[in-house]
Amino acid sequence: MTGIGAAFKLEPKYPEVPYEEKARLFAEIKADARYDDYLYGCYECGICVAACPSARYYDFSPRRIAQAAAREDVELIFEQIQEDIWDCSQCFSCLRCPRGNNPGGIITIMREVAVNNGLDSAREALKGYTRIIYKIMSTGTQVSPDMLQADAFPDWGPTVAATSENLELWRRALPPDTHHTTKTGWQISTKTLVELYLIWHKTGALDLISELDEGLHSLLEEVMEDLLEEEGYEL
Amino acid sequence: MSDTVVVIGGGPAGIEAARNIADLGMKAVLVEERERLGGTPIFESYAALTPHFDDAEEAMDGMIAALAERAGADVRTNSTVTAISGEAGDFVVTVDGPSGSEEVAAGAVVLCTGFTHFDPGRERQIYNYYQYPDVLALQDLEVMLKAHDVRVPSTGKVPERICWVQCVGSRDRNIGNEYCSKVCCGVASKQAIEVRKIAPDSRAYIFYIDMRMYGYWEQQIYWPAQEQYHVQYIKGIITEILEKQGGLIVRGEDTTMGRPMEVAMDMVVLSVGMEPSEGTKTMAGVLGVEQNKYGFIEVARPPLDTVSTNREGIFAAGAALGPADLEDTISSAGAAASKAVALIRRGSPAVV
Amino acid sequence: MTIPVELVNGPGRKNKKEFTFSEEHAPEDFHDHLWELEAAGELVVQRVPEPYLEVPVKYGRTKKVPIGQTWHHKSCGQCGHIPGYSTSIFWVNRKLGIEYNDPTDQTSCTAWNYYASATSNQAAQACVAMRNFAAAYESDHFPIIHCGTSFGHYKEVRHEILTNAKLRAEVREILASMGKPLVMPEEMIHYSEWFHAMRHDIAKHQVLDFSKIAVTVHPACHYYKLVEGDAIYDPEVYGGQRTAIVTGLATALGAEVRDYSTWFDCCGFGFRHILVQRDFSRSFATQRKIKRMKEEADPDVTLTHDTGCVTTLDKSQFAAKAQDKDFATIPVLSEAQFAALAMGAHPFLVCQLHWHAADYKPLLEKMGIDHEKAWAEFEEQCGRLERNEAKYLTWEDVDSAPVEAAR
Repeated sequence: MTGIGAAFKLEPKYPEVPYEEKARLFAEIKADARYDDYLYGCYECGICVAACPSARYYDFSPRRIAQAAAREDVELIFEQIQEDIWDCSQCFSCLRCPRGNNPGGIITIMREVAVNNGLDSAREALKGYTRIIYKIMSTGTQVSPDMLQADAFPDWGPTVAATSENLELWRRALPPDTHHTTKTGWQISTKTLVELYLIWHKTGALDLISELDEGLHSLLEEVMEDLLEEEGYEL
Repeated sequence: MSDTVVVIGGGPAGIEAARNIADLGMKAVLVEERERLGGTPIFESYAALTPHFDDAEEAMDGMIAALAERAGADVRTNSTVTAISGEAGDFVVTVDGPSGSEEVAAGAVVLCTGFTHFDPGRERQIYNYYQYPDVLALQDLEVMLKAHDVRVPSTGKVPERICWVQCVGSRDRNIGNEYCSKVCCGVASKQAIEVRKIAPDSRAYIFYIDMRMYGYWEQQIYWPAQEQYHVQYIKGIITEILEKQGGLIVRGEDTTMGRPMEVAMDMVVLSVGMEPSEGTKTMAGVLGVEQNKYGFIEVARPPLDTVSTNREGIFAAGAALGPADLEDTISSAGAAASKAVALIRRGSPAVV
Repeated sequence: MTIPVELVNGPGRKNKKEFTFSEEHAPEDFHDHLWELEAAGELVVQRVPEPYLEVPVKYGRTKKVPIGQTWHHKSCGQCGHIPGYSTSIFWVNRKLGIEYNDPTDQTSCTAWNYYASATSNQAAQACVAMRNFAAAYESDHFPIIHCGTSFGHYKEVRHEILTNAKLRAEVREILASMGKPLVMPEEMIHYSEWFHAMRHDIAKHQVLDFSKIAVTVHPACHYYKLVEGDAIYDPEVYGGQRTAIVTGLATALGAEVRDYSTWFDCCGFGFRHILVQRDFSRSFATQRKIKRMKEEADPDVTLTHDTGCVTTLDKSQFAAKAQDKDFATIPVLSEAQFAALAMGAHPFLVCQLHWHAADYKPLLEKMGIDHEKAWAEFEEQCGRLERNEAKYLTWEDVDSAPVEAAR
């Protein structure tokens, strides 16, 4: 398969690891509680590929993901964790699979394993993305009005610059009381944020990123501990 | 102990079962809901039968005429079975017909109520059967083939490009039909050959997951379709059928070549699978026989007994048992007839 | 939609005039499991408050949509970058005199991040969802979800909570540590379902004639593909063969809905792509969606019902136009903004169209809205804020602002 996808392809520069390490990563994928619900078998019918937006622009195929998983081809799966999984759009158009497979869901699990193990593909794919992780985990909203900066979105046209120039005023010109924020999508109460931080801690979601980005992890840990301690929680 | 066997359903299986029962010296009462015998091949206007290309109407007429010669066969059309009581050897079957309700004493019953075509409205791919006139189902094309006049419904022109999409409503966990319908690969290939005969300038494509034409069908249909009639077989199922500039576009992945495809077609035929007919589902309830999760009749002692239901003295044959081609249907009708007759002769239920 | 199968009707063929789903072929209804767990004391089910409307979903089933007493689960992308989206949702509620709750005790579903970066896990995602549901329950208001991804992800979470006892126990314990019960709403409701259910009431309050407005509809993947069940399929729209969402409302408002071949394709959002690999999102949105719509349907506006879709379809057009001056743009609105405009909402004070990128002015002109005058009205209100005559624009300001421009 060829196409313009090649231009967008992540650099396939990842270190070779022993087979046992690849098998361990696959075992981690398989151990996810959702895995059995996401993979049955593969007919190679191509329905998922024809419905897939990413397959049109990248050298990417949800069918190959399902097939590799069904074959338990540890070598191929490792290659896909390092090269393919970040191309997926996570739109779940592939759920039309007649076998009931969920290739997009398998990819979600594979990505989680890539992050959890701090694999190069995750670091590469999430380069420039860490500010978003910081935003969502620390504030409880994914994108905020002050992220609309002309230098961050040069391709979105002059509206972005106009918005950022008038941001504070335009936010005040929004009738809903919850919308006057610039650093978060809407106003979130402190109690709510405390509960969110507790969730990140108790479910291990915070620890999950320590392999990916130790700096980000420390920063988030500090922010969260400060608030939790302030609110009387001992961790 | 009655020497009568009630056969329910007057399609290929029912006719064959009734004829065998009569030939074996017993009496057959053949109950058919509609006004005439012949079943799905007649009522869905089948053209040529798979795999030998016999004319369906002639073939069925032949079966019906042969049955009429059997004095032991009593055909009741416009009639339905509404109740059953008693046990194997001594059933009382209530038959409602044009002249009222009648109780028929019967030693055994053979259920031959067949299948229905999958309704493409339930298909999870986007085929737009109910939206586009030029998207047909197998049985719709049979009507045209029978008239020897294959035309694109919206334009009235002979199609230049026609394709079949396999496994519509079969082998699909999300639809709930996990089974293969067995016949559609053969029927689609048979139809492709017929179209190429009627419209030699047309190009015919079959989009498939696996082509399944077992045993002699390989050389009777598959090879001729490829080698003599140049039907193109492409591994990859169509996900969407769209209308564009008056024609149809089919979209899928050519999985062998590993590339997406968007191909223009004049006409698309959906190879719809088999589901239990309304008659099969209703009669299973009336007779109290077990159905599998799809609604087909469950055989009680597979694999060496292919026709006995869970209720002693009640047998099933043909596509009421699950997807079946005509050859399987006729064979199981013979098996059901012989087991029904044997039960009566022996004077007791079958010994396993 | 007429069914043309009679063209090939065989002699004995009893073809249906139209297709109808039947319960016989329906997969398991999640409610069965939900009631069982409630009966076993495993969780609390929050009932849809009365009065509610019933809308058709697949398999001949219906879904209850609450009219009021709703808890608005906001969307970060809407509130953050397309604030006229959520504002229009609220404005339409207010205009219809419906009581609702716009909570601060709500976090994002965090699923945009999860589908983008996978920097979370199943338990965390489930806890975030169930914490929000508990907060809604505590406020005695029923969750109505603004974001398509939140809606789809919460349906995933619902499935996992209902079928995975271990996860259920883990989430229950974490919520209990915050003093919250494990609550599942009886129905998962997307705001667009409320607009669909209320479309005839909305049309009664319509003040602009939309009969000359041609629209295309982009249904959001996470609304109807991600967990297929309980999305609206209405026999009166597309013969029940496609989700009726957005199309039903646009039709009720008298607009002409035009079809195009790539309606099933996603918008190109891609979750991480829209943030860090936008060449993909842009190519997909413009080449597969906008260009096709323009060529095949030439609409005045394209309507959709999700955060990511409005963002991608709207924002991607600038670069395509910059590269090719002949690239014909299409304005992109949520159907909430479209409905609000129909009801006389101010294009800037309420619908906040100045946050949108693709040129919407020709659309406003076709709707009979004087956008220059409207913009002057918006600036006048901003002037009040700048002069510190008021800190914020209020609903009262919006209601009392001159609306002649919108007539």
